[in-house]
Amino acid sequence: MHARRTGKNGSGCRIVIAGTGGQGVLTAAKLLCDAFGARGHEVVSGQLHGMAQRGGAVQSSVIIDGGISPVIGNGRTDFVVGFEPIETVRAANYVSPSTVIYMNLAPVVPFVLAQRTVLKQDDADYPDVSQLVEALSAATDHLFTLDATKHAIEAGAAKALNMVMLGCLFASDDMPCKADEFLEFIISRVPAKLKEVNVRAFRSGVEAAKSWAVGGVGP
Amino acid sequence: MSAGLQHDILQDDAGKRVCLLGNHAIVRGAWEAGVQFFSCYPGTPSSEVGDTFAAIAKDAGVIFEYSINEKISVEIAFAASLAGARSMCGMKHLGLNYAADPASTIPYVGVEGGMVIVSAGDPSAITSPNEQDQRHFTRFLYYPIFDPATPEDARRMTRYAFGFSEETRLPVIMRPTTRVCHSSGMVELGPLVTRRNELAFQKDPARYVPIPTNARRMRKELSERYRRAEELLAAGEFFPRTGHGRYGIIAGGVAYAYTTQTIDELGVGDRVSLLQIGAYPIPESVLVDFLATVDSVLVVEELTPFIEEWVTLTAYRSDRRIPIHGKHTGVFPVEFEYSPDMVEDALRDQLNLSRRENVGVAIPELPPRPPVLCPGCPHRTSFHLVGRVFGKRTVYCNDIGCYTLGYGEPLHACDTVLCMGSSISQASGIARTTGKRAVAYIGDSTFFHSGLPALVNAVQADDDITVVILDNFVTAMTGFQPSITSHGTEMPEPVCAPSGSAAGNGQDVPLEDAVRGLGVRNVFSVNPFDEEAALAALRLAKKGRGVNVVICHSPCAVNDRRIRKGNRRAPFMIDPTLCDACSLCVRVLGCPAILVTDGKYTIDEELCDGCKLCAQLCQRDAIQPVSEETR
Repeated sequence: MHARRTGKNGSGCRIVIAGTGGQGVLTAAKLLCDAFGARGHEVVSGQLHGMAQRGGAVQSSVIIDGGISPVIGNGRTDFVVGFEPIETVRAANYVSPSTVIYMNLAPVVPFVLAQRTVLKQDDADYPDVSQLVEALSAATDHLFTLDATKHAIEAGAAKALNMVMLGCLFASDDMPCKADEFLEFIISRVPAKLKEVNVRAFRSGVEAAKSWAVGGVGP
Repeated sequence: MSAGLQHDILQDDAGKRVCLLGNHAIVRGAWEAGVQFFSCYPGTPSSEVGDTFAAIAKDAGVIFEYSINEKISVEIAFAASLAGARSMCGMKHLGLNYAADPASTIPYVGVEGGMVIVSAGDPSAITSPNEQDQRHFTRFLYYPIFDPATPEDARRMTRYAFGFSEETRLPVIMRPTTRVCHSSGMVELGPLVTRRNELAFQKDPARYVPIPTNARRMRKELSERYRRAEELLAAGEFFPRTGHGRYGIIAGGVAYAYTTQTIDELGVGDRVSLLQIGAYPIPESVLVDFLATVDSVLVVEELTPFIEEWVTLTAYRSDRRIPIHGKHTGVFPVEFEYSPDMVEDALRDQLNLSRRENVGVAIPELPPRPPVLCPGCPHRTSFHLVGRVFGKRTVYCNDIGCYTLGYGEPLHACDTVLCMGSSISQASGIARTTGKRAVAYIGDSTFFHSGLPALVNAVQADDDITVVILDNFVTAMTGFQPSITSHGTEMPEPVCAPSGSAAGNGQDVPLEDAVRGLGVRNVFSVNPFDEEAALAALRLAKKGRGVNVVICHSPCAVNDRRIRKGNRRAPFMIDPTLCDACSLCVRVLGCPAILVTDGKYTIDEELCDGCKLCAQLCQRDAIQPVSEETR
């Protein structure tokens, strides 16, 4: 394993996974913990925010070889894996100019907006996604956006969204293990009938983020 | 509970490193120590301790129960200890308040088999009505307390606690906080104890009965045993020191983890000495030795300045007059959780390093995603119907459970909440002082937890209250633990043993029998989804004199879906040609499955549970089940 971005005084690899309850954030964090723990790394993971109720905001941290604190300090994450636009921006406090962000552009509309609409309150609309992207672009040059939900559906199931997002993460050379090795681990964990969908979803995430790393600004 | 986790907890593979949740590490530590008895009442953030025991109890040969409440959990675990068992019980911080009566005398009587009470704390009141600092139980009632910073701490402390408890005959509190309970970290498995305590109760009334003459003798012995605890802790490994710098830092709980992190980030390891406080009472020698080697101390701990005051006292008594910083000097607040950033700012200030500027990105105003009642939740239906009958002027006293989410827009079903079981007594107090009928909402599990005495109190006083018992056959909010009304309900695999026994053959206690047995004459049983019958019962309950009880039976929608494993009721859809956007469904029900986009009303088929409530409400019959062909 090699530490990335040692310029931040710390070592190790810090990941924030953000999304809504039901999107598979906690499962993704657990897979990372188990995979790296089994490979002899030091792993710490915590719930940074939320009660994981369906539709609620959820943030998990995963810290590989980076000390014993489950909570990541402001501006000290290496990666943000955002499963949903609003929730990606809600994790902005962890972002520094060197943070790599993978952001799913498909919104999950907060139900409070329906209430706000009928009560004719302000801010009843889902924020303009392009403005959310802009807010994060101002924070880091390493922002990669994609419609990961569409990728998941094309792979065979909307529920495979977390696999697409993990695929993006493992497209980075700065992860402490290769995408194929992690994919092996996923395969060992998922039921046989879901294997193909998960593999397709993961690979599509890897491909999408790799093409960005080659053609775009890249991580 | 996955088979993999069960294997991780039970495996006999000392030295192996596995990634465990803090709560799971506690169970592992107890299993390594040969725990024989476990009881609990679920409460976030402690619940996974009990749920894990429920899953392993049979294979591990541990006597297990989900108790009716925490007081009973502590009492029964103590009796098991008197019969020789290494016993443990689990609850959240507030549960220990409820159990404080038995807990206060256990140290006097003393334990036989080692006894550990897990009482999980919740700084910042993330899932609780208050935050509180259970460390005071060591000064208050002479409990030794372990305060883990990591899952590995949680394992090794729990493992140690049982033998320590037997040697001192003191019950021990294990006090993890949310950030430890719900964080995962690497744990090194220890060897399993192979010898188990013999289980038998030896009669010795002078030893076990704290009548005043015995209690006074016990009081003297307690002081001795508490001193012995301090000696043992001084020789233990719960106060590790790192570094040799002249700048002293003393930290406890998860704040210790933040502190080690910050020292690494700042690269100031050579300037500081760091002492972890992992247990209480803090042995005097530990603090005296540390204070002698540093020029000042910063204390880093969440909630009350507990370590800070202990250190200040020790410094004074040992005539070591150095600056002690913490909450009393305004470096840290007494409220809420700490964060790595707070610790970093404090440490930079103390070490004369400039603070970081413009760290992270300011988060713009974003719509929140507050917890809400789930689609299909029977509580929503009950609130809606009760509201229609009792109106806006009635005072609604609510209780602890999912139904607290009746608070605010649009259900307005929650005017007061205090603690478990308080809704009925609060309704009594309101009704008796205002002369107007008040409504109490309480769930099945909470009713049996502590609503029973309140109900019989209301009957005794003949209060004009209507108690609505929301029976969803499960303790839903803490993770679907069985409640006493779950009997006969098929629980999802792996089966959690219901209260009463590990085998789950406890007796059925119908709510109606319990309520009538307490002297209530007007008892109505309804299915809240049977609108006509439910409204008729509620109208009678409003007109009747004295205590009226309406029991709304309907399974928790989420648990029911788990049981039915995807075999769902047909979801509903809104016919755009019939919907006139009157907004009634959204304004009245607050169901998260109903969306409004650009003025157009739709139902998220994935979220919709098919409960039909919105379809019944719609004045234009625009809401219809999705037909098989279109699904």
